[in-house]
Amino acid sequence: MNKTAAHFIGNSWIEILARWILGFTFIYASYHKILEPAEFARIIYGYDLFPAAIINLSAIIVPFVELTAGIFLILGIFPRSAVLIINAMLVVFVVLLSINLIRGHAFDCGCFAPQLSGNEPSKVFVIARDIVFLLLGMFVFLYNRDRRWCIRPTL
Amino acid sequence: MKTTKELSILLSIAVVAAILMNNFSPAGIALVGQWETSHGTVTAKAKNDVVYDDLEIGDTTLAKRFYDGGNALFVDARAREDYEYGHIKGAISLPVNEFDAFIDEFLEFYSLDSPIITYCSGRTCEDSHHLAQLLIYRGYENVSVFIDGFPGWEAEGYPIE
Repeated sequence: MNKTAAHFIGNSWIEILARWILGFTFIYASYHKILEPAEFARIIYGYDLFPAAIINLSAIIVPFVELTAGIFLILGIFPRSAVLIINAMLVVFVVLLSINLIRGHAFDCGCFAPQLSGNEPSKVFVIARDIVFLLLGMFVFLYNRDRRWCIRPTL
Repeated sequence: MKTTKELSILLSIAVVAAILMNNFSPAGIALVGQWETSHGTVTAKAKNDVVYDDLEIGDTTLAKRFYDGGNALFVDARAREDYEYGHIKGAISLPVNEFDAFIDEFLEFYSLDSPIITYCSGRTCEDSHHLAQLLIYRGYENVSVFIDGFPGWEAEGYPIE
């Protein structure tokens, strides 16, 4: 690896920037879902990939996993574990979006607030965006030096 | 090992917070929703839910009988564009998202005892139920919801325009 790349990847300011971007994004993403769980449940139903029995439980719990992981990332509480959860969620989102993209199933991604019709970003854009977040997440996960401004870096 | 512990702590906090919030929020939902279209309109069964089974007409031929009876007023809860694109013949448009703007006019034309049947675009759509609740709140006494909506009606080859 050349020196510049090593410097970049090992840079604690880049790490905190990536961590905060992910943290704030996930907190923001959880906000509307927490206020309107019924709407989010309907969106999960709209994906047409989940058994009826787990739709409501997912709509209740997933937004709080997003929120908690987001807060942990920003405050620096178990950042490596928090970003592991976020990466796992991103992988799941990318898989779900791709399945529906491939089979041509029309649906609302429900990523942030529900989209008004005619106003939604394309599925390809959403998948690409999630992959960029996933790259940030991989970086935060693999970063192995001291992290800045962490309340509780590890147990 | 450490990671497993950290993950358990994080997830436990999230689950407990989620259940507490859902329990106390006025928008909280049931732990299991109604997601089978064969059982009626799908719904997360929120505390502030608008879907009431007892208003539902789940049989298109029954809806047609009310239609042929000539007394029932069919009211389309969908957006204006959808209505203009095609609707049950003779139905009038009262989009649920424009309810406040048009309800006064509606009240002038139709008395509170008029039999009203609302509909939208089928069993995965709750606009017809939402509209029914708004109408009932405004004093309408005889409101039903035709849950198969425009697609169900059209599929039977019943009159549309």
